[in-house]
Amino acid sequence: MTASGLPATTSRRGLAWGLALGLPVLGYGLRGVAIDAARTHPAELARWVVGAAVVNDLVLIPAAIAVGWTARRLVPSRAWAAVRGGLLATGALALVAWPFVRGYGRDPANPSLLPRNYGAGLVAAVIVVWTVVGSVLVVAEIRARGRRRGQCR
Amino acid sequence: MSRTSPAALATSVGRRYRSGLHETRTAAWLGVALGVAFGVCFLTGVWSHLAQDPPSWFTYPARPAGLYRVTQGVHVVTGTATIPLLLAKLWVVHPRLVEWPPARSVLHAVERAALLPLVGGALFLVVSGTANVARWYPWTFFFPRAHFWAAWITIGALVVHTGAKVGATRDVLRSPARTTSPGPATPGADDEVPMDAPVTTVGATPGDRRAFLVGVAAASGVLAVATAGGTVSPLDRFSVLAQRRPGVGPQGLPVNKTAVGARVVELARSPDYRLVIEGERAERCELTLADLRAQPQHEATLPIACVEGWSASARWRGVRVRDLVALAGVDASRAVTVESLQPSGLYRASELNPQQVADPDTLLALEIDGRVLHIDHGYPARLIGPNRPGVAQTKWVARLVVR
Repeated sequence: MTASGLPATTSRRGLAWGLALGLPVLGYGLRGVAIDAARTHPAELARWVVGAAVVNDLVLIPAAIAVGWTARRLVPSRAWAAVRGGLLATGALALVAWPFVRGYGRDPANPSLLPRNYGAGLVAAVIVVWTVVGSVLVVAEIRARGRRRGQCR
Repeated sequence: MSRTSPAALATSVGRRYRSGLHETRTAAWLGVALGVAFGVCFLTGVWSHLAQDPPSWFTYPARPAGLYRVTQGVHVVTGTATIPLLLAKLWVVHPRLVEWPPARSVLHAVERAALLPLVGGALFLVVSGTANVARWYPWTFFFPRAHFWAAWITIGALVVHTGAKVGATRDVLRSPARTTSPGPATPGADDEVPMDAPVTTVGATPGDRRAFLVGVAAASGVLAVATAGGTVSPLDRFSVLAQRRPGVGPQGLPVNKTAVGARVVELARSPDYRLVIEGERAERCELTLADLRAQPQHEATLPIACVEGWSASARWRGVRVRDLVALAGVDASRAVTVESLQPSGLYRASELNPQQVADPDTLLALEIDGRVLHIDHGYPARLIGPNRPGVAQTKWVARLVVR
C-alpha cells in the first residue's frame, strides 16, 4: 500500500485524467442505453454485463486454474509452456465454436448461412493445435539434447 | 472456527496463486495488446454505425468501394482474436479480485468500481459479438443497439483504467526484465497481494513470460484464422468456424435475408411488379421490369459486405440510380430512400446520400454475374452500391423516394 491510498501500480494523476476523460464516455453509453431502452432492455443488458464478469471470475478462471493445476502435475516442466498455450487455444476455440456446433442459428430456408460441419471443424482445429504443440516440444527436445551432448565433450 | 481476519484470509488466498505470471509486467503487455484490440474494434464499430445510421452532420463516403468490407472484416476478426488476450489478462490479474480492504480510499473504490463495466462490458462485447455471428440470440434486446452502447460504456471504463495504469505500464515496459529466477511467487508484505509487490521481487522469469505471451498470441492467431475465411477467401479451407463460405449460396453468393424470410415471394414474382419513383420534387414514374431492362445498363464489380464480417464480390448489371432519378426530372444532388417490397422489418428501406446517388456504380441491379438475380438476391431488382453495409443493399426494390 502506498501513502496515497492507491495500489503501487495506480497513478493518482493518471486516474484523475482517466476519470475526467473516461466518465463522460461511459456516461454517454449509459445515456444511450437509457434513451434506447425500448431496444436495449436495460435491466436484461445489465444482467448480461454483470453476469459475464461474475461467470468469468467465479467459474471460467477458477476452472482454468484447476485445469492448469492438474495439467502441470501431469506434464514435465520443460513441456509446460507449450502445453499451456495449447490448452488456451483449445479452450478459446471450444468457447467460440460452441454456438456454431450447436447450430442455434441454422435456418432451413438459407443453406448459405452456417454451411459447415462445425463439430468436425472444431476437432480438426484442436488436432492441428496439438500437432503444433507436439512439434514444438520435439524440436525443443532435440535442441536440448544437442546442447547437452555439446557440453559433455 | 478460528478467528481469521479478512486481511489474513485475503493474503492466504493470494498465496494460492502460485504462478509467477500473476505479475505487473505480464499484465502490462497484455493490457497494451488489449488496448490496441479494443481501440480497433471500437473505431471500426463506430464506423459501421455511421454507415448504417449516419447523423445529420456526417456524410458517409461512397468511396473507396471496398472500404466497408475491410473495416467490418477487421472488426469481427479482431474481436474474435481478442478472446484469448482477454481471458489471459483476466487470469493474470485474478489474484487482485480478493483484496483486503476491498478499497483503501475513496479514489481506490472508484478505480475498482470502474472495473465492473470494464471487465463485464469487455466480456459482453466478445460474447454478444460471437453469438451474433453464430446467429444465436439468447436475449430479448436488439443486438446492434446493445452492442453499440455497451461499447461506449466499456471504452469509457477502459479510458479510466488506462489513465490509472499508463504510468506503471510505461515504467514496467521501459525497465529491463530481470534475467534471474525469482523463485516461487510469494507475496511481499502481509498486506500486499503478489500483483502489488515490486516486479523486481516477485514475478515470472523472462523466458516463462515470453513463452506465455507467445502462447496467448498463437491462440489469438488460431482464432483469427478459424474465422477470417468468410471474408478473406484464401483462408476459407482453414476457417472452420466461419459463418460463411465464399461461393456457397444461390448463384455462388451467400444470402443473408431470404425471400421466404422477408415474405416477398409472391410480390417479387408478380407480373404486376412496378418500380415507383416519386418524391415532392419528382415527377412520379412507374416502370415495369421490361421498362427497367430497356434502360441503359451498366456493370460494376462490388462486394456484399455483411455487418457479421463476411463479404463476397460479384459482377452486377443494372440501371444507375442517378439515371432513374433523372427519369423523374431530378438531378443527382438529392438523397434517395430505397424501399423494399418487404411488408415489414427494420431493414426494409435504406438511404442513399447525394454522393452515393451520384456514384456511377450505384445500381439498381437486375443481374448478377450475367444471370437474372435469384429471388434470394433480390429479384426483380436490388440496390447495390460501393462501400455500403450489406443490410443497406436493399433487395426486392419497389420504390425510390427522392428527398
